[in-house]
Amino acid sequence: MLKFLKEVLRVGEATQKYPFAPAEICEGFRGRPEHDPIRCIACAACTSACPANALSMKTDADAGTRTWAINYGQCVFCGRCEESCPTGAISLTKDFELAVARKDDLIKRAVFKLAYCRSCGAPFAAAKEVEYVGRILASYATSPEEAERIRANAEVCPECKRKLDVEQIARSNPVQQMETAR
Amino acid sequence: MTGSKDFRIGQIYITALNEKMPDAVLDTSWQTDNQVTVTVKLNSLPDAVATLYYEHDGWLSTMVGNDERPLNGNYGLYYVLSMEGAEKCHVIVHAEIPEDSPEFPSVTPKVPAAVWYEREVRDMLGLQPIGLPDERRLVLPDDWPEGLYPLRKDTMDYRFRPQPTTDNETYKFVNDSKVETTVVPLGPLHITSDEPGHFRLFVDGEDIIDADYRMFYVHRGMEKLAETRMGYNEVTFLADRVCGICGYAHSVAYASSVENALGIQVPARGQAIRAILLETERLHSHLLNLGLVCHFTGFDSGFMQFFRVREKTMTLAELLTGARKTYAMNLIGGVRRDILAEQRLTTLKLIGELRGEVKRLVDMLLSTPNFGGRVNGIGRLDPKIARDYSPVGPVVRGSGHRRDTRADHPFAGYKLVDMPVHTQTGCDVLSRTLIRVEEFFDSIAIIEKLLSDTPTGPILTEDFAYVPHKFALGYTEAPRGEDMHWSMTGDNQKLYRWRCRASTYNNWPVLRYMLRGNTISDAPLIVGSIDPCYSCTDRVTIVDVKKARAKTVSYKEMERYCRERSDSPLK
Repeated sequence: MLKFLKEVLRVGEATQKYPFAPAEICEGFRGRPEHDPIRCIACAACTSACPANALSMKTDADAGTRTWAINYGQCVFCGRCEESCPTGAISLTKDFELAVARKDDLIKRAVFKLAYCRSCGAPFAAAKEVEYVGRILASYATSPEEAERIRANAEVCPECKRKLDVEQIARSNPVQQMETAR
Repeated sequence: MTGSKDFRIGQIYITALNEKMPDAVLDTSWQTDNQVTVTVKLNSLPDAVATLYYEHDGWLSTMVGNDERPLNGNYGLYYVLSMEGAEKCHVIVHAEIPEDSPEFPSVTPKVPAAVWYEREVRDMLGLQPIGLPDERRLVLPDDWPEGLYPLRKDTMDYRFRPQPTTDNETYKFVNDSKVETTVVPLGPLHITSDEPGHFRLFVDGEDIIDADYRMFYVHRGMEKLAETRMGYNEVTFLADRVCGICGYAHSVAYASSVENALGIQVPARGQAIRAILLETERLHSHLLNLGLVCHFTGFDSGFMQFFRVREKTMTLAELLTGARKTYAMNLIGGVRRDILAEQRLTTLKLIGELRGEVKRLVDMLLSTPNFGGRVNGIGRLDPKIARDYSPVGPVVRGSGHRRDTRADHPFAGYKLVDMPVHTQTGCDVLSRTLIRVEEFFDSIAIIEKLLSDTPTGPILTEDFAYVPHKFALGYTEAPRGEDMHWSMTGDNQKLYRWRCRASTYNNWPVLRYMLRGNTISDAPLIVGSIDPCYSCTDRVTIVDVKKARAKTVSYKEMERYCRERSDSPLK
């Protein structure tokens, strides 16, 4: 009993003042992921990395939009989205106070415009993603003309790309080329 | 991966099986250097398991039922034995069951430890164990339709919820007492508890004559979920959620099962970090149990002191992983976050403080006059019963058996440390408590050792290829004992089968024997000494066999009686 009393006196008060004073949080704490729609290119890498299906991506071809959404009620704060994002558009914060009055408030959305194929006119990817890919590929070009051609090529949907490739090969007449080579 | 010819641990057991039972062994294959799967004829299954279990120091770690009809036309059974004799390794006894006759000879009459596994495989895969004395369901509820077996590949989607077939509880609780007893039901449900269980104590006056219990009221279907909805890398995060206390142990066990199956060498630094985090988890878990022992013996101020100190271990977890629970640190191939110099220093400082604080608190607890009388000789687990049922962790070590996965089958960073194993011979609540105290200080020493010479280099490897239909075991020693996972890869970046066995699963079957011969005021203390999740046991039904009268007592009331030991709820 004496030992116990001594211990109690030695320790003093252990209770923290939270929520009347801020809680102490370690560096590197994994809290609410924050999304930056300006940097986001709607590539959906995060949605496939998310183990809890908290992140989703829905395409509405009629409206011409692609909607990215996070449900904080489903999020497990693992940070796989942060690791997989190519543009650093999502990162975890130290915020852990996520209570809301309505369930819907746990969902945050960002709507992106779709890009339409230069060739067939069908929507096939988010406009920002197409622009991002075109810019990266064009940076390897050796002349402004080539850069423009690469950028234009990026605006063609995969389906049309395949078709155009076949047509281009047919135009170059591979049979004749082979015969000439022989 | 097949181990190289000259380095195959476990060959002596195969030789022994071949000598004792000629022609029974059909095939042997090594998944790693110390994991061998031996396929036997179906009729030889009970003898093969019993031979390894009782003649070669084997313990039953888990049993896996697998619907392999799409692969080879058969069901597969895998009895996993942890061999702790001459050559320490895992021997997995495998038998195939043809599709047209889904039954197999039960191992339980020879090895009682198999009882829950065989009841479960009957529920989940519809494989009939012939000769199994216990015909009750284990996992499926009473209102689940006959003939719907959730883990068969062709039966149901993981989201399917069948219509209930009955409104009545049809489960029969077993009472082996020779005298008349009263029934004390404990549980089953409180709407807010996540893991309810129902306890039925058969009492004569205040004495427990026998006990039976039922779990799985909230079966989460994680194995099916993992197999159908998630990629194999994402399952590490699901495994984190198997348990709210020792989830990281499951995550490591799962990750290493896939790493073993695919032959992935996890970098040494990643292995060491896994061990450091596992010990961090043990620190907080053991402090939680020590606090609860205080609580159940009516020493609530001690409980508060242990929980005050426990907060330091939670800070430690937050510092090292970024979360107080569900660390989310594992990927297949290693860990996601390194331990930096500054974190290392803070960790060393924190565990130094913990060592001193906990030492003072333990001295205080053990010198509290009525503590010894309350835990000494209570909840005795006979070493022979322990041998028959393969319990794990502090429960089995408290009954004198030297079993610890960290020492027997070193995994993760435990290869780098000398692993002491503590045993006690009291077989009671006190023994189990003392073992947790000793292991707490070991954990601190292990963390210090691993932090002082951590291997250098990468923490994660991505240099591997996913190969279909490879399988292996992964295991850890969680605070409650061995966690055992068995995974088989699919052909779609998912798992074909994930079998996850938590430590308490192996400890439930012996609880009945621990309760017998004690008084009902000790019941919460005894249940607490196996350290299950506390939300499990909400209410008790007490049946007085002599007066043939049943009474339901709320768990709060039982707990109060355990602490105060006055005003019996039975009067």
